[in-house]
Parts: sequence; C-alpha cells; structure tokens
Amino acid sequence: MHPTSLMMTTSLMTIFLLLAYPVLTTLSPAPRAADWALTQVKAAVKLAFFVSLLPLFLFMNEGVEAIITSWNWMNTLTFDVNLSLKFDHYSIIFVPIALYVTWSILEFAAWYMHADPFMNRFFKYLLVFLIAMVVLVTANNMFQLFIGWEGVGIMSFLLIGWWYGRADANTAALQAVVYNRVGDIGLILAMAWMATNLNSWEMQQMFVTAKNFDLTLPLLGLIVAATGKSAQFGLHPWLPSAMEGPTPVSALLHSSTMVVAGIFLLIRMSPLIENNPAALTLCLCLGALTTLFTATCALTQNDIKKIVAFSTSSQLGLMMVTIGLNQPQLAFLHICTHAFFKAMLFLCSGSIIHSLNDEQDIRKMGGMHHLTPVTSSCLTIGSLALTGTPFLAGFFSKDPIIEALNTSHLNAWALTLTLLATSFTAVYSLRVVFFVSMGHPRFNTFSPINENNPMVVNPIKRLAVGSIIAGLLITSNVIPLKTPVMSMPPLLKLAALTVTILGLMVALELASLTNKQLKTTPTLAPHHFSNMLGFFPPIIHRFTPKLNLVLGQTIANQLIDQTWLEKAGPKALVSSNIPLITTTSNAQQGMIKTYLALFLLTLTFAALLVSY
Amino acid sequence: MTPMHFTFSAAFLLGLAGLAFHRTHLLSALLCLEGMMLSLFLALSLWTLEFSSINFFTSPLLLLAFSACEASAGLALLVATARTHGSDHLKNLSLLQC
Repeated sequence: MHPTSLMMTTSLMTIFLLLAYPVLTTLSPAPRAADWALTQVKAAVKLAFFVSLLPLFLFMNEGVEAIITSWNWMNTLTFDVNLSLKFDHYSIIFVPIALYVTWSILEFAAWYMHADPFMNRFFKYLLVFLIAMVVLVTANNMFQLFIGWEGVGIMSFLLIGWWYGRADANTAALQAVVYNRVGDIGLILAMAWMATNLNSWEMQQMFVTAKNFDLTLPLLGLIVAATGKSAQFGLHPWLPSAMEGPTPVSALLHSSTMVVAGIFLLIRMSPLIENNPAALTLCLCLGALTTLFTATCALTQNDIKKIVAFSTSSQLGLMMVTIGLNQPQLAFLHICTHAFFKAMLFLCSGSIIHSLNDEQDIRKMGGMHHLTPVTSSCLTIGSLALTGTPFLAGFFSKDPIIEALNTSHLNAWALTLTLLATSFTAVYSLRVVFFVSMGHPRFNTFSPINENNPMVVNPIKRLAVGSIIAGLLITSNVIPLKTPVMSMPPLLKLAALTVTILGLMVALELASLTNKQLKTTPTLAPHHFSNMLGFFPPIIHRFTPKLNLVLGQTIANQLIDQTWLEKAGPKALVSSNIPLITTTSNAQQGMIKTYLALFLLTLTFAALLVSY
Repeated sequence: MTPMHFTFSAAFLLGLAGLAFHRTHLLSALLCLEGMMLSLFLALSLWTLEFSSINFFTSPLLLLAFSACEASAGLALLVATARTHGSDHLKNLSLLQC
C-alpha cells in the first residue's frame, strides 16, 4: 500500500483510538486517580492533536484526501449502511483545529472546575462530546452524521445542565434539547427523502444521483436542521440561554464546535445546494436576518457571556449568508478562524468571572487591564479579530465574505443587513472592552486577582497565537475551489473596514456618554426591544403554550363537557324527556273526568266523521 | 229528524256531557245520570208508540225499575264516599284507596 495513504489512514484511526481510550477506561469499576482529568484526558487530546497534524501536513503538501469504509453495518437488499469515514479537506483542517481548541479549553477547565467534586465526570462529558463532534465531521454517510449530530445534542444537554441544582440551568438545557429536536425534524425529513429517492445515505452516491431530482424538499429539511443546530433566527433562543453552563462548555460547544455543526452539514451538502436558487436565497435571507437580529440583541446585554453568545450567533448568521452566496469554502474558513477567537473570548470571560468571584455583569467590572493584563489584552485581540481587523485571523475570512457579498448579483437587502451587523459587531465588542478593561473598577476588592496560574494563562496565550496567525496560515496553504472576484471599486473593497470603523467611532462616542446625562428621559423602546431579545422568548415560550392550553381547556370544557355531554348527549336526553313525562303524568291522575271527557269528545268526532 | 226525536237525543247528550264534564259534586253526576235515564225512558216509550209494536209495551217500565235500582246504588256510593272522604268532592276520588 502506498506509504502516504497508509500513514493517513493510520493516523486517523489513531486519533479515534486516542480519544476513545480514556472514555473506555471509565467503564471499569476502579476509581479514577485524582488527576485523571488532567493527565489522561488532556494528554489524550494533546496527543491526538499532534497526531492529527500529520494528515494535515500530508494534505497541505500533496493534497491527499482519504475515504475509509471499514464495516458493513446494516445491509438490506436495496439499502446499505456502512461505517464510512471521510477525510476530505474540510475534516482534515477542522479536526486539528478542534483538537487544538479543545486542548486549550481542557487545560483551562482544569483550573476553572478545580473545586468541583465531579470534575472527572465533567472531563469525560467533554471528551464524549469531542468524539461525537469528530464523528460528525468525518462522516461519509448521513447515518453516521446523524449519530454525531444527536451525540453532540445530548452532550450539550448534559453539560448545559451541569449545575442542575439551578432551575435556570435545567430550563436552558431543556430549551437546547427541544430547539435542536425541532431542527432534527428537518434532518430526518432530508434523510428519509434521500433514502427513498436516492437509495443511499453515502454522500458520493447522493451527489451523483441527485442531478435529476428537484431537491427543494430535502434542502428545506437540511436548512431547518441547520437553523435548529446553529441557532438561526426562529430557533435561536437556546444559544444565549445555554450560557447557564460552565464557561469551558460555552467555549467548546457553543462557540467553536457544536453550533457550527449545522453550517458544516450545509457545507457538506453544498453540491446539492448550489443548483437550487430557492435554497440559496433562503440561506442568504435567513443568515442576514439572524446576523442583524442577534447583533442588535447583543448591543444592550449586560452579562458578558451573553454578549459573546450573541456574537457567536451573529457570526453563525454570517456563515449562513456565505452558504447562501454559494461559497462553502469561505464559510468553512470562517468556521475555522472563528473557533480560535471565540473560544479565546470565552476563556478570557471565564478568567475574569472567576477572578471577580463569579461576577458576570459588565456593569460591575472595570479596570481589569491593570489587574489582569494578559487576559484583557487577549480579550482585545479576540475582539479585534472578531471585528475583522486587517491581517488578524478574522480578516482573512470575514473580508472575503463581505467582498463576495458586494460583488455578487444577489439580494441587496441581505447585503445591507450584513453590513449593519458588521458595524454592530464593532459596537458591542467595544462595549465589552470598555466596560471590562477600561476605566476604574466598579467592584468590591474581596478576591485576590492575579494571573499566576499557568493553567489559565497558557491556553489563552495559545489561542491568542491562533487568533493572530490562523487566518494567514489557512489561506496560504489551502487552494480555493472558486476563484474570488478580485477587482472591485475601492469603496466596495473597503466596505467592511469602513463600516467597522464607523461603528467603532459611534461606540466610542456613546461610551463617553456613560457618565453624562444629556437627555432628561431615556428612549426606552429601542433599548427594551434589544434587551428583551426582541421579545421572541416571552412570546414563543409563554404565549403559544398558553394558547394551546386555552384551546385544550376550551375543547375539554365547552366542547365535551358542555356541548356533547350536556346539550347533545345523556343530559339532553333527560332534559327533553322530563317535560314530556311531567305533562303525561299530570294528565293521568286517575280522575274519571278526564276519561269521560275524552270519551265524549271521541264520540262527537266519530259522529261527525260518519255523518260527513 | 223530527222535533220529538231531537228532544230526547239532545236531552241524552246534554246529560252525558254533564256527566263527563262534572265539576265538584258526585251528586250532580248522579243527577245527570238520572237525566240520561229519563231521556232513555222517553225514547223507549215513543219508539214503542211510533212503531205500534205490542211486544215492547212493557220495556219502559222495566227500564224505570232498573234505573231506580241503579240510582239507589249510586246514592249508597255517595253516602259511603261522604263517610270515608268527608265530602262528595270528586277531586278526592283520585287514589285507589279508601
């Protein structure tokens, strides 16, 4: 066998084994060592990362992609389901990035959760999640993808509800599961359609045989699935609620890996989407709406984790817009760069929260730049990368997206919304940095604030390095599949940058107004709309169930109890018969007069009848 | 029909109506019954005279005798009713009890 493919296959199987080994050792009844989490789990992930670099370098050097089909799972006469792993350029690049980010997050989590009595279980959950995610991205057939999909959904539920004594955490976990389930309906619809029409769940066969079909229905199903998993507008409330989980969970699941699963699904299915203009337009408009709506919601939030969560949602909307532009590779590039700086933003927030004794309100922070310089610097780097500052990681993915949007002959409304959302990104990023790092402290000085522990600082530093150079590294080593439009008017080329700088200037001006009162009464309506998340959760979570319950009550009470049972059924029998019975009983009292009178009357009538 | 015919038929029917639509007293019902008997006596007599049939010359007297028995039976019932129910109000005579 050719050495390259042998090395590729071996290293990829090794990654799976390395990740699965710690989980399998937990099946034995012997208790784990106290530092099992740190030594076994983190070491496994670190080792898996270094092993995954091998296929990455092979790919970058030779362009080697591999598809491994290893096991006939369920084979009927007409339908085969196999265990099939696909290591094309998407999964080869994503797996090392996911492992790198997870390695940093696990090291951080060992510090963050060190006082938790069930830390080993926490790390086990994170590892199981990682395995499910890797299964998802390396799946070559829909069945395996579905296994990974559901796996990440379940682990998300378990991890969001980690502090299950807190009612809000349970509600948030339930919300995540229910919204994901609604999206899963779309995925199962698509899978069923493909099984019945394309006769296979293997992606290669699907792409070849789908050319003659009208694919609108399965693509709609896939878009609904992506809406659920990647928190697009309509199924988005679970993502900010998911911040009830510990910060490592937010950093891993709800910024870099799980929420991009929906976008990743659409990227995998891009050969099917690219010929369907309806699906593309839907993605474009849905993504644009999502990115603007969530950016608006992020403007007035006061919880630092919620701001970062909405920022994630906004970037996911941007990825959806990219898919709507028929640029799956750009979307994937944005997934990769976004993983770095978003995870870093979450880790910085976690470090600040822990230093301030679990204070999450940015109105009660301030002046952290003097107290935790490394963390606040990395916060700034992450925010700059997020807004697309030239030559940081976010620039290499965000700017081409905006350029592609500008030079395409598509929806101008989507373009406007996306540009507006880009400026809002700058605004809320500045808001975070201003309230957290700048100014004077607004908290009590109870806890010792330091950055002496390397387990905090090293992951953040590693991710900062990634945030700076990842964009450059990936774009210079990966061949684009579609030629981007390079020449455009200068204003169009600088559109993203201009809009961001404008947003930044507006935000700076607004920030300087925080200690002045120029208006006598504030305009509350826009603030309330943004702060209450557009009133979407209260309406959907309270109003529609209430309508359902009222409908149920009306049916049970008025339809069944009052109508069927009283007016039309048994009681009606009673109420219509009793007057008849009463009248008859009254007539038949046993009085002779009645009978004699009737006799006479009958006699008269008979006589009249006979004579006429 | 002839006026004579009409007279006793009308008397009979009026007596019957009076019996059927009685109001308060049993005695008035019995009186109506007597009236009916009287009209029947009249009818029987006139019938015999009209058709000159010797055979039925005695029937009116027979009817009279039987009507007297029946009247006395009725009056005995009236007295019994007055004894058990206190009066002869017909509205008390609805239950089959003494």
